[in-house]
Amino acid sequence: MTRRRAELAAILVLLSIPLGIALVGPFIPAAAGDRTQPFDPAAPWPGTDHLGASVLDGLLDGGWGIVVTAAAATALAYLVGFPIGLAAASTRRRWVDEVLMRPFDLLLALPSLLLMLLLASIAPPTPWMLVLIVAFVNLPDIARIVRAAALEAAHRPAVEAMWLQGEHPWRIATVHTARSILPTAAADAGVRLVGAFYLVAAASFLGVGAGPEASDWAVMVDVNRGGIFLSPWGVVLPAALLVALSVGLNLLFDRLLNRREPA
Amino acid sequence: MQPHLSRRAVLSAAGLTAAPALLAACGTDPAGPESDTPQTGGTLRAAFAGGGADETLDPHRVNLFADAARAKAVFDKLADLGTDMAAVPRLAESWEPGADLASWTVTLREATFHDGSPVSAADVLYSYRRIADPEGTFRARQDLAPIDLDASTAVDDRTVQFVLHHPLAEFPNTLAAFGAYIVPEGTDDFAAPIGSGPFTFAAFEPGRSFAADRYDAYWDGPALLDRLEIVVADEESARVNALLGGQVEYAHDLSATTARANEDNDAVALVASPGSNMLGFAMKTDRAPFDDPRVRQAMFLLCDREQLVESVLSGRGRIGNDLFGLGFEHYADAIPQRERDVAAAQALLAEAGAADLSIVLDTADVGSGFTEAAQIFAEQLREGGLGVEINERNADTYWSEVLTEGQIASYRSGAMPIASHISQRLLTDSPTNITQWHDAAFDDLYLQLQSTADETARQALYDQIQQRLHDEGGYLVWGFADWIVGTAGNVRGVEQAPANTLDWARFDKVWLA
Amino acid sequence: MLAYAARRAGLGAVQVLAVAVLAFALVELLPGDAAVALAGDQPDPEAIERIRTAMHLDEPALQRLADWIAGLLTGDLGASLTSGRPVADILANALEPTLVLAGLTLVLLLPLAIGLGVAAARHQGRWPDRLITTATVGLYSVPEFALAVLLVSAFAIGLAWLPPTAVGVPSLLAEPAVLVLPLLVLLARPICSIARLVRAGMIEALDSEYVAHVRRAGVPERRVVLAHALPNALSPATAQIARTADWLLGGVIVVESVFVIPGLGTALVDAVNARDLPVVQGIAVVFGVTTVLVNLAADLVAFRLAPRLEIAR
Repeated sequence: MTRRRAELAAILVLLSIPLGIALVGPFIPAAAGDRTQPFDPAAPWPGTDHLGASVLDGLLDGGWGIVVTAAAATALAYLVGFPIGLAAASTRRRWVDEVLMRPFDLLLALPSLLLMLLLASIAPPTPWMLVLIVAFVNLPDIARIVRAAALEAAHRPAVEAMWLQGEHPWRIATVHTARSILPTAAADAGVRLVGAFYLVAAASFLGVGAGPEASDWAVMVDVNRGGIFLSPWGVVLPAALLVALSVGLNLLFDRLLNRREPA
Repeated sequence: MQPHLSRRAVLSAAGLTAAPALLAACGTDPAGPESDTPQTGGTLRAAFAGGGADETLDPHRVNLFADAARAKAVFDKLADLGTDMAAVPRLAESWEPGADLASWTVTLREATFHDGSPVSAADVLYSYRRIADPEGTFRARQDLAPIDLDASTAVDDRTVQFVLHHPLAEFPNTLAAFGAYIVPEGTDDFAAPIGSGPFTFAAFEPGRSFAADRYDAYWDGPALLDRLEIVVADEESARVNALLGGQVEYAHDLSATTARANEDNDAVALVASPGSNMLGFAMKTDRAPFDDPRVRQAMFLLCDREQLVESVLSGRGRIGNDLFGLGFEHYADAIPQRERDVAAAQALLAEAGAADLSIVLDTADVGSGFTEAAQIFAEQLREGGLGVEINERNADTYWSEVLTEGQIASYRSGAMPIASHISQRLLTDSPTNITQWHDAAFDDLYLQLQSTADETARQALYDQIQQRLHDEGGYLVWGFADWIVGTAGNVRGVEQAPANTLDWARFDKVWLA
Repeated sequence: MLAYAARRAGLGAVQVLAVAVLAFALVELLPGDAAVALAGDQPDPEAIERIRTAMHLDEPALQRLADWIAGLLTGDLGASLTSGRPVADILANALEPTLVLAGLTLVLLLPLAIGLGVAAARHQGRWPDRLITTATVGLYSVPEFALAVLLVSAFAIGLAWLPPTAVGVPSLLAEPAVLVLPLLVLLARPICSIARLVRAGMIEALDSEYVAHVRRAGVPERRVVLAHALPNALSPATAQIARTADWLLGGVIVVESVFVIPGLGTALVDAVNARDLPVVQGIAVVFGVTTVLVNLAADLVAFRLAPRLEIAR
């Protein structure tokens, strides 16, 4: 079992670096340094960003906001989307299914990018609105995937048997069906959280969220892209932190839900 | 600005600007290296940012750089602007003012359209009337407004008598207005345009590509290239990649960062034109808090121009002195450069009762360095004790919104004559008076300037106007960005020239070594 | 089943119309209009007013919407506010490159993503699974533009194997080399999310009583996986594949601008920026039709894969 333990250690390292920087970073006082040229390769490692300030400051300050916003948006989207998808799949009344799912079909036919572009330009620019918009854009997908997964689980012979025995439908849905679609939901949530990092950044560019002066890792990746050939660290470091966080979280989810222990 | 430019960039630019001189000296200097002798032939592909599927070849509808580059290849104006913004005769051979400066006689040179017909006074009047149509929406309409086109006449085939509504000493600027191209009389369909320019139209796909071939009978001597292709690539990175990958030979409008990254790359040459793009902030002088000149002066004094040029422009630019038109004709060089002085600014603010002033700074992502400059300037103001909130607006409607809304806004201006800057932006009835500068005495001063024939007396008025703006105007001008174009190593004859001047995007003198 | 498809098609038409109306309403809510956007940095109020009249923007919004719907019913998509070109022309020009990109991406995506997902599930918890998860999630968390920059500088500029952009290329299919890098960038993200869903569905299916029963019946393992577990595992992934069309559009906007491909993504961005409502609505219609068709296809496939689910209702 030492291999399993080594694997766990690797996952913890992957997670603790970005999360540690996100949590502790804001409390580390920024070293007072003069602005220089943007993307200055001559500046002390890791160089300067698009405004000629140290990339290090951005890294330290830029984790907290994006991790919390993306996590809150994904959680909120699941909190709403999961019960809707589950209810649509579990119900024996067709019209309930239709009422729950058709509005999402309408939203699905609208390009999510257009939707976000438009929501962003009419919504007040607050961090809360950012969470709401990112959650809203993800909601239809989640409801559909949960419904598709639950549909299969809700019509297994075992469930049919419970149904015939007079077990309460909501009990079947919440206890049996929900538990059996957990792996699919977790796989989707893991990937969706990663997508949310960049949705949050995209929304920040559209003027929703903390405003142009707040830095976060995904925004850093974008604003520093112009200087990638002069001083790559402004892109590479925040991107690496996001990759570490994403891979770590997904591996952790897989591990927690791993039913069949490997030999 | 030279200290900021790298040696390589200066050298490559100097080498390129030397080419026309060599061209003139051709034959008298046989010792010159072979690759510096202009050669005829070849196709040049140039990449510009474009306007998508809505692009048109109607030269009077030009709006974007790509439109202007295409129009310039096929058409000519009566005059164009030199690098110092002085009007240079093109289709006009000469111009002569009447005694009161309210009428001008323009003589046309002998030139032909691509169908062989001569460019005549009737074509000129037709083109100007089309642009000035009160129902029309052509961009140059405002520039041509001083001309009374009903009273203006064709004296003969090659002479036009322009009658103006009021005296205009700088009338030749009008002939060089953006989009004031001469088209054959009666033309209203530009699917396959006929002009008098150095290249004849060959093919056009809106938002994608444009091709034109050399016109051998061009009045200014035939172009050296066989063919010019203008392709559209909106992303700066795509233009650079296409240049580096050998898909184009000319990439327009590159960033200072790209220029720095390719300084040591022998495959590309960079042509940087100093002072092309004015950058600053526009304060509304008609409302609090900037209706108090002392508050405006405090803003001038809190601005650290060197830091902005260094951090926003990567040092590829020159600092500004709160005046438009650095390096241009009639610019007031004698006014001393303003320096940062936080203590003096705080004293002025205290005097104005605005020591703990809080302002909202409008900006939008409408140009490179825009939001960056706002962020750094906000920091500089906060160092002076001001509260600053940055309000990022929608880029598509930014200019229209900040014309009337807000207190202070990020601002930029392309190159134009100083007189045009004043008439479009600083008179009571100016259409785009973003600083809301309404001053009858100032208006009179400008009218007087346009009615003064004597050069020296007129320069004195220019100086007086600029001194006033420097002291208490609404434009805080912190810098002038270089205009950077990249070319393949074998391209010769690309000149340093601010955007929208004669030598900018001019391909009839360009050749491939 | 035919009746089902017919009912869905009718619903689809309503959906498409609703999407177009929604797009109209949302663009109307954006600050400014086509006249303001066209004026750009020369916002002379008088000129804007003249442009507005010329574009008929002075008519009430509802009137313009009604005119547009009336036109749509006769097959007329209207004309661009900015240039007056027919919207149908603009769409026809922009559709081809995007269809080529999206079609090829989908063709390559399905076998790759399903293959990876199945491989990971069959080795759940062991190194192939970990490797696939790490690689796909890692790739997913690299933004498209960064991947594009990396690929272009390595394969187009550095090694000069492939063209860096599609500048000056008249047709993508005429020069397939320009397609390689855009396709790689487009594939990177959907592969990950679909492979993850297939993996999760597979694990669940391989664990079910049904598969255990098939196994007990002595069916070979290969057939168990492909014929019995996979169809059941695919239905959540099918819901996601239907959404790939939407992602493709998002990805296509980045890819089109990086590689200079004048397709639908570029046209949409241009039209929203210009507040060119007829063009935005035209693209919304094209997009709505595509989404409805893809969703219909996905539902029919899901129905074929596991018919008992729909019958049970």
